[in-house]
Amino acid sequence: MTNTQTPTADEQSGTDDGRQGEDAERPTVLVPLEVLEGESMPDGTSELLANARVILLGYHVIPEQTATEQAREQFGETAMKKLGEFAERLTAAGAAVETRLVFTHEEQATINRIIYEHDCLAVLVPNSIDDPESVLVAVRGTVGVERTTQLIAGLFAGTDVGVTLYHILGPEENEGDAETLLNGVRTDLVERGMRPEAVATRIEQTETPIDAIARVGEEHDAVVMGETDPSVTTFVFGMPSKQVSERFLGPVLVVQRERSEDGDEAN
Amino acid sequence: MATDDAGPEGAPEPPVEHDVDPDEGELERTIGLVGGLAIGIGTMIGAGIFVFPGLAAENAGPAAALSFAIGAVIALLVALPASELATAMPRSGGGYFFISRGLGTGPGAIVGLGLWLGLVFASAFYLVGLGSYAGQVFTEAGIALPISPAVPLGVAFGIGLTVLSLFGTENTASLQNAIVIVLLAILTLFLSYGSLDALGVFGAESTPERFFPPGGVLPVLQTAALVFTSYLGFAQIATVAGDIKDPSRNLPLAMVSSVIIVGVFYVVTIFVATSAFGSARLGEFGETAMVEVAREFVGFPGALAIVIAGLLATFSSANASILSASRAVYAVSSDEIIPKAASQINLKYGTPHVALGLAGGPIVVLTATGQVELLAEVASFLHLVLYGLICVALIQLRRENPEWYTPSFECPAGFAVAGVGAVASFGLIAFMQPASIGVGIIVMAAAYGWYRYYATDVELKGDF
Repeated sequence: MTNTQTPTADEQSGTDDGRQGEDAERPTVLVPLEVLEGESMPDGTSELLANARVILLGYHVIPEQTATEQAREQFGETAMKKLGEFAERLTAAGAAVETRLVFTHEEQATINRIIYEHDCLAVLVPNSIDDPESVLVAVRGTVGVERTTQLIAGLFAGTDVGVTLYHILGPEENEGDAETLLNGVRTDLVERGMRPEAVATRIEQTETPIDAIARVGEEHDAVVMGETDPSVTTFVFGMPSKQVSERFLGPVLVVQRERSEDGDEAN
Repeated sequence: MATDDAGPEGAPEPPVEHDVDPDEGELERTIGLVGGLAIGIGTMIGAGIFVFPGLAAENAGPAAALSFAIGAVIALLVALPASELATAMPRSGGGYFFISRGLGTGPGAIVGLGLWLGLVFASAFYLVGLGSYAGQVFTEAGIALPISPAVPLGVAFGIGLTVLSLFGTENTASLQNAIVIVLLAILTLFLSYGSLDALGVFGAESTPERFFPPGGVLPVLQTAALVFTSYLGFAQIATVAGDIKDPSRNLPLAMVSSVIIVGVFYVVTIFVATSAFGSARLGEFGETAMVEVAREFVGFPGALAIVIAGLLATFSSANASILSASRAVYAVSSDEIIPKAASQINLKYGTPHVALGLAGGPIVVLTATGQVELLAEVASFLHLVLYGLICVALIQLRRENPEWYTPSFECPAGFAVAGVGAVASFGLIAFMQPASIGVGIIVMAAAYGWYRYYATDVELKGDF
């Protein structure tokens, strides 16, 4: 595991501060994999995340009657080895990688904690793709859009990947507002280094957003969308992104809203 | 639970060093304070309220309340040192872990194997209780059975629970929390009503019996030894110490509060029960005496509520003890006091099938004996040895003060509390029936013999 870092409690803050200038610009993306359940890193993941700082999270969910220590003792090394192989593939593609391996009783608690600890910009719901060429970006509104542009530009500026900004009109919205919104996002992306011709826009008045994103997503290689309404749920795999990924069958990047400092996400 | 010096509610807790291993991965802590309390209360409350009142009152009369109070004091004297040790060593294995690391492999082996078997006896005792309440369901439904169904039903539940835990029961924790909340609600209602009634608020004040039984203090102490099984749950919190969030705060709070909460419930229960019926009458009712007490106060609905509560309570006690027994097997096995194979986990279900078998098998056999008092006393015996040695380990560690020993919770007046705790734990054993003492000594001797035969080359003192 030459190029991976597994931070211990002491080193962790050091790794964050000590990131090189280039790495600091990289968007942080969490890739959770249930390694021992045979979940491996799908093809194309390393190409998609070549410019990211990837937090590769291997986790294993254990029933409550089993001590987590017990599982770690038995499966820790195997799981770590598998993670190491995935990390090497990511590193070879150009990504900066940190690996974490966690034995847990609660998948969601672990994923939330890691998102919080590494201040992850997005979480990948992994699915295989060929070479990523076009990416659909669902833009809901101005709230949190800054994080989406940061992610898109970080991952795809200077590459051949084209993105399509996609907005679904709400009942009270008119097309003019939506155009203003998407053009603003586009300007922002270009300022961050995207080629103007690589950013298309698309506005529709259509069925429920999830159906629409899954349908339009099929014309693209990957989908970027926001987290579910924060007031309702914090589930990364929570309904919408999960549903989209199950129907669209490609990778979905779920942009996380900012985790507040007082840690309301940590439970 | 307003105090929280970790900052705003839910802020990230300082990582526990042991949880992060660069080569093998991290451990997620998922049990909070409420979960810890539910484990403690859920394990304990089944016995003290739903199995013992009849037996205890028969032996000690209204003074059985004092027996329960004595048990609570001893449990507290052990819970405080145990809390200090648990914050210094927040790992799965609880009492066994403290003693093997603090006092060495020999005492560790006796306690570790003793804890496994102690929990086996305790589980069997809870299962007989569960069987009694399940049998009571037939009685309430007016179905007459040719034989007492308690033991066969207990055996059936034992097999069922073991199989269930083999196949990965998810959400047992939230189920446990819900059971404990329902139980506490039923009991609070019932005991408040009963207490007011006994004090004469709803009519004539009941004439209290003579407080002390004819034998004086001796039966009270003997009863304290018998009912001490009702306090075995607090140390179970330490056996899942590896899963407890913010252990330096939550472990001591959960252990001490759960003892105080169940102690109060037990004392009030005896007060209410003995004011409803004479002690001799209560004794005749046996394990399900509380059902008759409830019937006396509020008629059939009361009896039904207590039958349901009794089923829930003995079920959760039995379930928690079976799981703890399997964790005890894991703890000794991972230290190679017994073969490593015993802690193998089944990858498909994620459960330790060998350890669960080693727990469930003997539990079912012991349940079949149906010897409630013997099972309870042997369980108490083996746990009291553990508790006494926990106190000794605290004294030893404080005197040696090894480098790794940095508890974040300090037991107030540590030497005095641990000293009295050790004397009281060992002392209570003297008041048990000779048969229970005999079985307990045989188990301990067998554990020591096994250690001499198999594990003399294992060195655990100060080993992390």
